[in-house]
Amino acid sequence: MSPGSRGAAWVVILGAIAWSAVETEVSASRMIEGLPFMWDFMRRMVPPDLSVLGNALRGATETIQIAVVGTAVAAVLALPLGFAAARNAAPPWLFYWARSLLNAFRAVDTLVYALFFVAAVGLGPFPGVLAVMVYTATVLAKLYSEAIEAIEPGPVEAVRATGATELQVLRWGVLPQLVPQFLSFTLYRFETNIRAAAVLGFVGAGGIGFYIQTYLRLLNYPAAATVLLVLIGLVMIVDFASSRLRARLI
Amino acid sequence: MIHVRGLRKDYPGGPRALDAVDLDIGPGEFVALIGPSGAGKSTLLRCLNGLVTPTAGEVRIGDEAVTGASPEALRRVRARIGFVFQQFNLLRRLTVLENTLLGRLAHASRWRSLVGWFEPAEVAKARAILVRVGLDGLAGRRVDTLSGGQQQRVAIARALLQGPAVVLADEPMSSLDPALAHTVMEFLRRINEEDGITVVASLHVLELAQAYGRRVIGLSRGRVVHDGPPSSLDAAATARIFGSASA
Repeated sequence: MSPGSRGAAWVVILGAIAWSAVETEVSASRMIEGLPFMWDFMRRMVPPDLSVLGNALRGATETIQIAVVGTAVAAVLALPLGFAAARNAAPPWLFYWARSLLNAFRAVDTLVYALFFVAAVGLGPFPGVLAVMVYTATVLAKLYSEAIEAIEPGPVEAVRATGATELQVLRWGVLPQLVPQFLSFTLYRFETNIRAAAVLGFVGAGGIGFYIQTYLRLLNYPAAATVLLVLIGLVMIVDFASSRLRARLI
Repeated sequence: MIHVRGLRKDYPGGPRALDAVDLDIGPGEFVALIGPSGAGKSTLLRCLNGLVTPTAGEVRIGDEAVTGASPEALRRVRARIGFVFQQFNLLRRLTVLENTLLGRLAHASRWRSLVGWFEPAEVAKARAILVRVGLDGLAGRRVDTLSGGQQQRVAIARALLQGPAVVLADEPMSSLDPALAHTVMEFLRRINEEDGITVVASLHVLELAQAYGRRVIGLSRGRVVHDGPPSSLDAAATARIFGSASA
């Protein structure tokens, strides 16, 4: 890149940032004016109202359940999709279609799917499960397909050279290279799905988000604080357990 | 033991990898296959156990045909041929013992082998071979925690557990440092002398071929250009194999 075009690139980047900041009405004075309200908001949350702990825990449990079912079904759906979207496993026409479809579906986030499924099957945790499932299936399929493409051919050839059947080659040459990675990806998505499922309640798709939104609307800040604390604890515990487990897999 | 007639291999878009190769290797021989990289050594070894299908020609191991064999017959032939790879080609997340036991897949009960259950007698045999290659005490270790030299010995143990009549080794030492290269070659010599296993090893180091091979076959551009005892490798012969530049 010549010095001239590098300078031009910087002008474009800085211009884009400045333009976006103006259009989004970024304002330091409004931010400073808002500080007392933020402080007030925080102050009203203390002390948290522990009488709603039961509701918070019920919501947290439902969030976990949404993430568990959604991730588990997605992991199964992602298997055939992942192989279809792997350059070295699928015929070119299938690979092309699978990749394009996955990219299109993955462009839409879980919350948008939740809006769609709430409209389709009604309120409650079930549309949440569907939303988590569809988005996670497309993400996992992409991750699986990349793992399949990165498979080492050498060990596969070595197992075949012992006189193994094709099924044995798959079991001992291919799967040991893939299964730990698949499990690790799936656990990682489970972690992120806990966070994603926590806000599904905002659009009526179940879980702890329902209580956060309800208490904030009722201006019951101490109750909202309890629910938020439970959510923070939940995310931390799941992240910790899952990352410990993943470290042992790979 | 190994019979090759008129073997030819063309890779699409590439030069001819093997051309009119005729070879007879008897039981119990130790053959060093030498030649510059790209001479066709790997292709020749892979044609011997059917990992590569030749364009033309015939390969037989004992009285079983490799070329044109049914999948079932090919698996039977492969079961009797151990193959040691340059890059070891182990399953890095599996243990030393598991990798070794893969040498028994063709003999193990098919369905049991799929769930990873091997006969106690086979496991005992695998452990005995691990002791023999000097890896006792490491059976439960994941192979990716081992050194390169140890990994190559796991690969040799896997090949030995097949109970092979032939061991083919494709530059088994070129991923290792020189001291370890001798250990590996020494071990191939031992299984040749003590077990009567026919060994064909491709080597790119002339000194190793002269030190270990009792017969040296030279390949150049897919053709056999030399075949004789190590003592026959004079300046003219090395020039034919490696070209005058390196002679």
